[in-house]
Amino acid sequence: MKVSYYPGCTLKTKARNFETSALAVAEKLGIELIELSRWNCCGTVFSLTDDDLIHHVAPIRNLIRVQEMNKNGLVENDHRLVTLCSMCYNTLKRANIRVKEKPDDLKKINDFMYLEEDYKGNVEVIHFLELIKDIGFEKIKENVTNPFKGLKIAPYYGCMLLRPKEVGIDDPEEPVIQEELIFALGAEVIDNPYKKVCCGSYQTIRDKQVVSNLAYDILTHAQNAGAEAISLSCPLCAFNLDSRQKEIKEKHSDFTRIPVFYFTQLMAIGFGLNEDYYGFDLNYVNPEPLLKEKNLIGRNNAK
Amino acid sequence: MAELKYIEGYPENMYKLIDKVHATRQKRKDYTPEPMSREEQEEVLNLHPDYAPGGKRKISIGQNKGDIAPDPVVNLLEAYPLVEEEEIDISSADYSVDILIIGGGLAGTTAAIWANNEGISKDKILLVNKLRHGDANSIMAEGGTQAADREVDSLKRHYIDTMGGGHFTNKPEVLRGLVEDAPFIMHWLHELGAIIDKEENGNFVEKWGGGTSIRRLHSCKDYTGLEELRVIRDEFRSKEIGCIEHYPAIEFLTDGENRVTGAVLYNLETGEYKIVEATATILATGGFGRLHIRGFPTTNHYGATADGIVLAYRAGAKLRDTDTVQYHPTGAAYPIQIVGYLLTEKLRSSGAQPVNIDGEAFVFPLEPRDVEASAIIRECYVRDKGITTPTGLRGVWLDTPLIDEKYGKGYIEKAFPGMNRMFSRYDIDMTKNPVLVFPTLHYQNGGVETDPHGHTTIDGLWVAGEVSGGVHGKNRLMGNSTLDTMVFGRRSGISTAEYVKSGAKQGKLTLEHQKRYVEMLKEAGIKPERRSPILLPEYRGKESLARMIDIF
Amino acid sequence: MPNKEETSSDKKLDSKEIMDRIAEASRQVVSGVEDEEVENWVTIYIMGRAYEVPADLTILTAMEYAGYKFVRGVGCRQGFCGACSTVYRKKGEYKLQTGMACQTRVEDEMYLVQIPFVPAEKPSYDLTEHEYDVNVLFEYYPELARCVSCNTCTKACPQDLEVMDYVQAAIKGDFKGLAEESFDCIQCGLCAIRCPSEIVQYNIAQLGRRLYGRYDSPEPEHLKKRLEEIEEGKFDKEMKEITKLSREELERMYAERKREED
Ligand SMILES: Cc1cc2nc3c(=O)[nH]c(=O)nc-3n(C[C@H](O)[C@H](O)[C@H](O)COP(=O)(O)OP(=O)(O)OC[C@H]3O[C@@H](n4cnc5c(N)ncnc54)[C@H](O)[C@@H]3O)c2cc1C
Ligand code: FES
Repeated sequence: MKVSYYPGCTLKTKARNFETSALAVAEKLGIELIELSRWNCCGTVFSLTDDDLIHHVAPIRNLIRVQEMNKNGLVENDHRLVTLCSMCYNTLKRANIRVKEKPDDLKKINDFMYLEEDYKGNVEVIHFLELIKDIGFEKIKENVTNPFKGLKIAPYYGCMLLRPKEVGIDDPEEPVIQEELIFALGAEVIDNPYKKVCCGSYQTIRDKQVVSNLAYDILTHAQNAGAEAISLSCPLCAFNLDSRQKEIKEKHSDFTRIPVFYFTQLMAIGFGLNEDYYGFDLNYVNPEPLLKEKNLIGRNNAK
Repeated sequence: MAELKYIEGYPENMYKLIDKVHATRQKRKDYTPEPMSREEQEEVLNLHPDYAPGGKRKISIGQNKGDIAPDPVVNLLEAYPLVEEEEIDISSADYSVDILIIGGGLAGTTAAIWANNEGISKDKILLVNKLRHGDANSIMAEGGTQAADREVDSLKRHYIDTMGGGHFTNKPEVLRGLVEDAPFIMHWLHELGAIIDKEENGNFVEKWGGGTSIRRLHSCKDYTGLEELRVIRDEFRSKEIGCIEHYPAIEFLTDGENRVTGAVLYNLETGEYKIVEATATILATGGFGRLHIRGFPTTNHYGATADGIVLAYRAGAKLRDTDTVQYHPTGAAYPIQIVGYLLTEKLRSSGAQPVNIDGEAFVFPLEPRDVEASAIIRECYVRDKGITTPTGLRGVWLDTPLIDEKYGKGYIEKAFPGMNRMFSRYDIDMTKNPVLVFPTLHYQNGGVETDPHGHTTIDGLWVAGEVSGGVHGKNRLMGNSTLDTMVFGRRSGISTAEYVKSGAKQGKLTLEHQKRYVEMLKEAGIKPERRSPILLPEYRGKESLARMIDIF
Repeated sequence: MPNKEETSSDKKLDSKEIMDRIAEASRQVVSGVEDEEVENWVTIYIMGRAYEVPADLTILTAMEYAGYKFVRGVGCRQGFCGACSTVYRKKGEYKLQTGMACQTRVEDEMYLVQIPFVPAEKPSYDLTEHEYDVNVLFEYYPELARCVSCNTCTKACPQDLEVMDYVQAAIKGDFKGLAEESFDCIQCGLCAIRCPSEIVQYNIAQLGRRLYGRYDSPEPEHLKKRLEEIEEGKFDKEMKEITKLSREELERMYAERKREED
C-alpha cells in the first residue's frame, strides 16, 4: 500500500529516530510511506487562531501537495495523508476541518495561493497510529518476533493526539489506541492517570522549570504505577519528558530516570528490526541498559 | 513602417536565418575548424581593436611618458584633479587606520581578510567602496578560476600557458606567484564554504579555458564570481572589518616624497569629503570597461572607470602594458537591452560554436581571446557573413543548442542558469536557438606595476586585482583574473600587515604630488577641460542633460 | 528600424574604418539613443512622476534616459549584483511586482520605485566553530521558525527562485536543498522586504550554503596532494628556473605544449 506521508521538520532533525523507526516498521507492515514532495512546515498549532487565516496557508499548502501526489501518480487515488508527529497531525487536521467547514475561508486561502492549484478539500489527515489500527493489531502481533515479555510501558498521549475532540484519534477521555498497540507487542500496559496531562509544550523554551515540574508529575505517576518506560508520539513531548529529566534530577535527587520511546521505536524492537533503525543516539535517557537487561537488544542483529 | 514581428524573441527576418543554423548543426556537430597557424593568427589580429590604427596615443606626461594607451585612458591621465589643496582641509584625518583598502571586489575584500588574519585589528582596517561592497566586476565573473591542482597538470604548465597567452610579456616573478598560490586559493575557498562544482567522485570539475593546454578551470555553475565574492564578503562581514560604501577615493595623500599616506574620500550622496590616514594603502579598484574604449559596449560593472590608475599615476606609481585591452569575443549582440553583456567562454569550451549567416563554423572556438574576437570581426565586416540586428549591430551566431547535444538535454539549464535566465527574460530559449554575439570590451590587461607581493614602485602603496599590471602581460587568459585578485589580494594583505607590524609609522598628509602633477599638466600645455577620476560614467539622456542646470 | 543596407564597399573597409563602423553601430548602447531613432515610446511613472521613454529600454536605462544619474541602485548593470531592486505596479492592476531594474524592460504605465538598500541582520560567525547542523541556522536566525509558508518571498524573487522552498529546506536541516535552491541568489533583498515573518531569507541561505560548501563533501584529494607537494617545495627548483628563461625558450615550450585529450 502506498500512502502520502508528511514527516514534519522535527522528524528531519531532532527526531530522526522517530522517522527512521517508523519507515522501517511501515515497510515491514507492507506500507510504503511516500514523502510529500516540496512539503513545508505544518504551521504548528499555536497560531491557528480563528481570525488569522494566513497561518492556515502552511497546512493547506501541504494538503495541496497530496492532491499533486495523486495527480503525479506517486500514490494511487489515495487522499490520505499520514503523519507521525502529533503536533503536525493536529495542525494539519484542524486546518483541514476548518476549510471543509468554512468554504469562504477555503476560497480566500486558495485565492491567496494563486500560484498553486486549488485545494479541493478532499484530503484526509490521519495519524500513523490510526493506520495501524486500520490494519489491525492482529497483524502487529503476527509481526512480533521479539516480544517484550512483560516490559512495563506507560503510554503517554499529551494533548495533540486527543484534543479537540473532532481532531482526536481516539476517545479524548479514555484513549486506548496506544494501549492496544503496546499490548500487541507483548508488553505490559501501565495505566498512568497523567497520560493526558500537558507536558508543558513550548513553555520549555521560556521556562524550563514549569516543564520539568509537569514532567516530574507525569513520569513519577507512571513510575509509581510500575512503568519502566514511556511510549509517546510527539517530538516536543519527547523532548520535555526525556531531556528535562536532567532538570528533574537536579531538583529531586531521588528521581530515577526512565527511558522515553516513540511508539515506532518500540514497534521496531518488537518486530526485531535491525538496530540501526532504533536511533537511540537521539534519545536523551539511554534506553539500552533497560533493553539489554530485558534481553531485547544485543542479540543477533536480525533484518 | 510595419510592426516588427517577433518569433521566439527574434524579429522575423533574423529568426528565418536561424533555420540555416539548425540545418547545419548535425554536420557541424563532429566538425571543428582547425586552430589557426601563427601566421593566420597574426593576419587576423590586424582587425583587433588594439592593432587597428587609431584609438590610442602616447602618454605625454609622467613616469610612463611615451607609452601608448587608449585615448580615453590617456584623457584621464592628462586631466586635472577633482579637488585641489585649497579646497579642502587635510590637516587632520577623519579616519586613522593601519591599512586602507580602496575597492571592494574580490581583490580588496580578500586583502582585508588576510590583513586581519595576520593580526591587524578589524578597527584598524578600512575598506572603502564607490558603490556597495561587492558591486564590482568580480561578482560578474561567470566562467571560472584557474588552478593547476590536478595530478596531470603542473604549476609549470599553468605558467607556460599564461605566458603564451600574454604574448610572453608577463612579469615572471609575479606570474610565478600567481600559479604557485593558485591551489592554496582553491583550498581557502573550500574552507570558506564556497560551493565549487564537483564530480561524483568528489574531484573538482575542471573545464577548458581559451588558450590553455589542459582542463584547469574551476567554476560554480556560471555564477563563479558571485559565489566567490558572496562567500568572501560574508567572511569579511563576519569579521566586522571597517567598511564604508558609496564613498570613493578621489585622490591619494602622500608625504610629499615617494610615499602614499592616505586618501581623500568623497561621499557620493552628500558631497562631503573625508580624510583617511593610513600606514599602508591597498588599491583594488578594478578595471576600466566603462570607458567604452573604441566605442565598444562592455561587460564591466558601472564603476569600472579607471580611477585606480589615475590615482596611482598621479602619486608617481609606474604603469605597464597600457597599450592592450581585452575584448571578449562573445558579448551579446541581441537584443539591444543586453548588448555587450558577457556570454562566458565556458559556453564555447562546453561545445557552443560560432557560426556565420550561412550556418558555417568559421573559427576554432577556443582561440586566444584576441584572435577569436578578431575572427568574429572579420566574419562580420570583411567577409560580410554576419547577421545584422534591427539597430544595425552585426554579430555571428553562437550555436548554444550544441551544448545540450553534447552533454544531454537539460545541461544548459543546470550549468548556465545565469545565461539562460538572461535570454529567457527576452523570450529567447538558448537551449533551442542560437544567440547572437559580437566582441565586447572586457578587461584591463595592464595597470599599475607591482612586485610579487603587490607592492608598487611607491612606498606605502600596494595594488591587487585588475588595476594591477604585469601578471597577465598583454593578454589575460580566462580564469586567471579571479585567481589574480585572490592571490594578490591575499599577498598584499599579508605584506601590508607585515609592513605595519614591522613598525612603519604614519607619514604626514600632503597633496604635494598633486601639485607637482598639475605643474606637469600645465607645462605640457594641457588645458584644464578634463577632470579625473570620473567615478561614474555618464548615461543620462541627451535631452535631459541639455536642460540641466546646476543650482545646489 | 530598417536593416542597414549591406554595401559591397564593406569588403574594402580598412581596419580603422571597421572600428568606426562598429562604434557607430554600438552608439545607442554606449552613449544613448537619439530621440529621432526611437520608434516606440512608453510612459513610466518614476516615483509618481510621468516620463516618456523609449520602449526598448530597461527600467535602469529608462531612468537614466529620463535624467537620473545613479549613485545608488545600480552596480553590475547585468543582473548579478542585486543593487537595482525595483518594485512597480502597472496601472489598473492590484499586483505589486518586483524586478531588477537592469533586467526588466519598461512597460507602459508602470509606476515604479527603486529599493537600493535593505536593512538586514547579518550576524558574525566563525565557520570553524560550528558543526554541520541545522541548529547553527536557528542559533543565528531564530526567526527562521516564523515562516508561515505564505510564499510571498518566492513571488518577489527576480531570479525566480523557490525562496519559500529553500527556507523550508533550512528549517528541515536539508542543507543540500537549501544550497541548490538558493544558489542563484543575487542577494537583492526583495524577499526579505516582502516577508511578513520578517525573515532575512538570503542571509540565512548564505550561511547555509557556506556550511554546505565546507562540510558536505571533503576537499578533493587531488587538491590536498598538490598542496602537500607545494609545501614540500617539490616545484621550487623548476619554478625558479622557469622565471629565468628567455623569451625564445618560453616560446619554444609554448609551441611544444601537448593539448590534453578531450
Ligand atoms: C562579466 C565579467 C565576467 C568575467 N568572467 C571572468 C571569469 O570567468 N574568470 C576570471 O578569472 N575573470 C573573469 N572576469 C574578470 C574578473 O572578474 C575581474 O577582472 C576581477 O574580478 C576584478 O577584481 P577586482 O577586485 O580587481 O576589481 P572589481 O571586482 O571590479 O572591484 C573593484 C571595486 O572597486 C570599486 N572602485 C572603483 N573605483 C573606486 C574608487 N575610486 N574608490 C573606491 N572604490 C572604487 C569598484 O566599484 C568595485 O566595487 C570577468 C569580468 C567580467 C566583467
Ligand atoms: S545592477 Fe546589478 S543586478 Fe541590476
